Amino acid sequence: MAKNLPKTGLISWLTTVDHKRIGILYALGSLFFLIVGGLEAILMRTQLIAPNSTFLTGDIYNGFVTMHGTTMIFLVVMPLSAAFFNYLVPLMIGAPDVAFPRLNALSYWIWLFGACLLNTSFLVQQIPAVGWFAYANLTEKQFNPTHSVDFWVLGVQVVGLASLIASINFFVTIINMRCKGMTLLKMPLFVWTTLVTQVLLFLSLPVITVALVMVSFDRTFGTGFFNPGAGGQVVMWQHLFWIFGHPEVYILILPAMGIVSEILATFARKPLFGYTVMVYSSCAIGFLGFAVWAHHMFTTGLGPWATALFSAATMLIAVPTGVKIFNWISTLWGGHIRFTTASLFAISFVAMFTLGGLSGIMHSSPVIDTQHQASYFVVAHFHYVLYGGAVMGLFGGIYYWYPKVTGRIMNETIGKLQFWLYMIGFNLTFFPMHFLGLEGMPRRIYTYASDQNWNFWNFCATMGAYVTAIGGALFFVNMFASLKFGKKASDDPWDGRTLEWSIASPPPEYNFAKLPEVTQLDDWWHKKYTHDGKRLTPPKQPVVDPKTIHLPNQSFWPIVLAGGITCIASGFVVPANGLYISIAGVALTVASTFGWAYEEP
Amino acid sequence: MSDAAHAHHTTTGIENRKFAMWVLIASECFLFGTLIANYLVNKARSISGPTPQEVYKIDVTTLSTFDLLMSSVAMVLALHYCKEKELRKFQFWTFMVVLGGLIFLGFQYHEFSTFVLHDGLGLSTNIFGSSFYLLTGCHGAHVTVGVLWMSSILITSLIKGAEWFNSEIVEVAGLYWHFVDVVWIIIFTVVYLFVYV
Amino acid sequence: MQQPAFDEGKYKFFDVNWDAPMNTVSGITEWSRDINDVYGLTTWITVVVFFAVAIPLIVTLVKFRDKNDGTVPKQFHGNATLEVMWTVIPVVLLLFIAVPTWRVLFKHAHVPEGALEVEVIGHQWWWEFKYPQNGKIITANELHLPEKTPIHFKVWSADVIHAFWIPKFGGKMDANPTAFNEDGTPRRYNSLNFMTPAVADAGKKGGDMYQGQCTQLCGASHALMRFNVVIHTKDEFESWVKNAYTPPKVETTLAQAGEQVFARCQACHTIAGTPSEQIPGQKIGPNLTNFGNRKYLGAGTRLNTQENLATWLRDPSSVKPGALMPAGLVNEEEITQVSSYLRLSTVKSF
Repeated sequence: MAKNLPKTGLISWLTTVDHKRIGILYALGSLFFLIVGGLEAILMRTQLIAPNSTFLTGDIYNGFVTMHGTTMIFLVVMPLSAAFFNYLVPLMIGAPDVAFPRLNALSYWIWLFGACLLNTSFLVQQIPAVGWFAYANLTEKQFNPTHSVDFWVLGVQVVGLASLIASINFFVTIINMRCKGMTLLKMPLFVWTTLVTQVLLFLSLPVITVALVMVSFDRTFGTGFFNPGAGGQVVMWQHLFWIFGHPEVYILILPAMGIVSEILATFARKPLFGYTVMVYSSCAIGFLGFAVWAHHMFTTGLGPWATALFSAATMLIAVPTGVKIFNWISTLWGGHIRFTTASLFAISFVAMFTLGGLSGIMHSSPVIDTQHQASYFVVAHFHYVLYGGAVMGLFGGIYYWYPKVTGRIMNETIGKLQFWLYMIGFNLTFFPMHFLGLEGMPRRIYTYASDQNWNFWNFCATMGAYVTAIGGALFFVNMFASLKFGKKASDDPWDGRTLEWSIASPPPEYNFAKLPEVTQLDDWWHKKYTHDGKRLTPPKQPVVDPKTIHLPNQSFWPIVLAGGITCIASGFVVPANGLYISIAGVALTVASTFGWAYEEP
Repeated sequence: MSDAAHAHHTTTGIENRKFAMWVLIASECFLFGTLIANYLVNKARSISGPTPQEVYKIDVTTLSTFDLLMSSVAMVLALHYCKEKELRKFQFWTFMVVLGGLIFLGFQYHEFSTFVLHDGLGLSTNIFGSSFYLLTGCHGAHVTVGVLWMSSILITSLIKGAEWFNSEIVEVAGLYWHFVDVVWIIIFTVVYLFVYV
Repeated sequence: MQQPAFDEGKYKFFDVNWDAPMNTVSGITEWSRDINDVYGLTTWITVVVFFAVAIPLIVTLVKFRDKNDGTVPKQFHGNATLEVMWTVIPVVLLLFIAVPTWRVLFKHAHVPEGALEVEVIGHQWWWEFKYPQNGKIITANELHLPEKTPIHFKVWSADVIHAFWIPKFGGKMDANPTAFNEDGTPRRYNSLNFMTPAVADAGKKGGDMYQGQCTQLCGASHALMRFNVVIHTKDEFESWVKNAYTPPKVETTLAQAGEQVFARCQACHTIAGTPSEQIPGQKIGPNLTNFGNRKYLGAGTRLNTQENLATWLRDPSSVKPGALMPAGLVNEEEITQVSSYLRLSTVKSF
């Protein structure tokens, strides 16, 4: 059956197991949710443009706060990073696909259905209003009697499962499917940061899985995990959440760090400075990332000794993070720097991430944090690292690899205009938030009085949001228009250093006609240039008849199984008969598993 | 390359699916670690209701632990005979794994129903009970998945006979089964044996 | 119809005001001065690091632009000396932040001798304050404290997690829900300790009424969960303590009628010296003893005027989204009566 599925049209996309198509699906999905999350932000900023506004009040505003954070983290940055993992990792390591192509598709469909489940909360007007970190015991049924919190819990649980499955797939792929000669220390840095990210994912996701089950059980079955009256502790949620949540922020930033490393090396025409240190510091960040979680809990009454220990670990993790900044600058130093939209975004990552890192140092001191915690200062910090950092890095990646994926180059004029609008808008919104934090404005408040001295900076921040929105609109115009009108791209339009530039743009379905053999880091560059910069003629890909290369068959089991899992989750959010819906979901999941297992791959 | 062709070459020499199972096991260590930690924190924090000392019957649990251990021995034998391509012995020992798993699940069902009906310890009775059921229930779910998996291996072998000795799949299933057994050893020690700690 | 949350104050589009109610850098108490010292040092260090990054970055971008001549620059891979330097120097800089941090952290972590004990209990969406050492005082949303006295705040919550923060005095502390002992005391609570400022200092920087606010998302009206702190001289505080929990003196017929209306409120509210005290257990609504004395109502959001009180009584959730007090409990005539009763005051307003 799987062999006879159509190779073009909608069905071919729904049953694809090709990592490149799955990467495109992740990109389109995440960019759609970027618009959703962005609109949520615009609406929030509109409410806060002036004091005493009644545009979005009470739990409606709190719902937007929750959904904006949850969307940007789980439905934008993580899947957009996954788009890059999917498309590029096999190409960069010289592999024909990932280790488990159908499992790869499964991850995507689970993610997409989980995203839809979460956003169904808008349609039924039960928007979760507990913040993206959903502190117990606000999440208990007593304080949130509708299914709003269940939408959040099950939505995050489902998209988390997608990431967990994908992390196992990519970890095996990177360790086990590298082409001949590519030892670990010859892999591109992007593959290294991807590798560390996968480890963080499969070790941290189980912890939040347990926590989410506990909240779900409290709400559905009356257990008392987070109910002090039953012996439970609210602080337990915070510990479990942040044991996941802190590695999660490194999951969000490491892929973008890898992308920036590739872009800067290419556009400076020099190798990444201190490659080995960059590898070790990425591993160190991953490892230490599990030791710092309670810095999100400095004001919960941990006691001075625990507080001091976590503060020390947090300051320590700044060191491997900080050395990267100097390595990136040194990559540019002495180079021949070309300013394209991609490199502009990568350079701005370095600057903005530094600012975010410095404000992070400030609140790594619990003494300072006791003032900063839960104020707009923290909002400024994490937007600088996640937006000025991760999102800018990811945009750079889109501009950089768009030619490889589509065979065309995105318009540079519109691109640079978008970049500047983003830089101006972003800084106009978030730099003043440092001042708002110092002036005592707490987070997650839907309004404020006019005598707090917060008026001017809030107005600025809202203006910045509108500027960003214009930049965002330009980006989407550019992305779609360039598909048709963009300049045609060669195999290697940027004179890149890594293996994906050695094949056609876009690549053939089988990736490499003949799997490459490498002898050094940046092997492709060394096939184009000698050590003293003289041009060589790199070998061309051999011509092969595509019919002779065996590719994995398409399959509809991934999308069906994903439907089964979502069905199980849906049972928790429907007004009635939830148990039967979940049981039906279990039956569909089990049946799909057997169908998958007995299908010819 | 198709999943069959991958068997040819991997960078580490370990087959992809086996490697993936090790990674899954690492992840599950954190899953069970969290559940065990949660149990340890909560076991003595109940406001009312039965306590561990009141409900645990260690003589029965020792039997179920022994049963699961023996099923792991059966698993080792099943894999051995699969590799040796001895059909009937492979099928017999696979069946013994399934049986061992089912017996274990039977013991769990017996224990849970005794707790609920006889001792008044339900899922939401107190926080000790909730934490206990969450941990052992999750483990039981893992055993159930293992039983289903081994059953389908057995049925496939019964249908396809001597042409089907997929020792790679059996080895991966064996890894999973042994892991679930090791988790139970830890649970048995930490939950049942450490009652007075 | 949702009302604007706060009384319309003087709206200034742009103002530089270091004495604004929630400003964290004023440094009025010793604790906030200690925090600002650490913060000041940290800020200098981060400024230095910022320039250590910005200057090389800008110089690099200007100096090494591609000249489009098709050449390729020298392909160097690293420099061990540089790598070591920019690993070790940040560690040293971090020690300069870490050591003062830990000093201040431990300095303020213990309960000082002779501290005045104040219990702070968070509710959705108001603050309860109790003074166990000063008789049976229970009050809400307005915290009276003596000057130059160490205070030991015991902080917990009756429902969800809140956080207690007076920015001008120092840092914040979460109010966590807890189980209770037989005698109603909390099983667990968080401690916050600091010394109050002198009235003389206080007067210089923003008057004697300081603003605090809840900083942990706690539901629909989290934004409206404020409170105010009043610093008194020791004598004034003594006099406040004497009058704080005294029953209202009902002298007019209007107030008497109001007293009758209030009898319907006692399921959720308590006033000292009334039958409402006989109803046991934790009440959902704030203690209204000496309500007339308070500058604000609605947890520091509206001035305590007749008109604001009437608006509240008509429909509390129009003032505070999600307020647990239902609308329409009293008609217009009863509003006038009960307002008159509630706004009886025993001490001059601040």
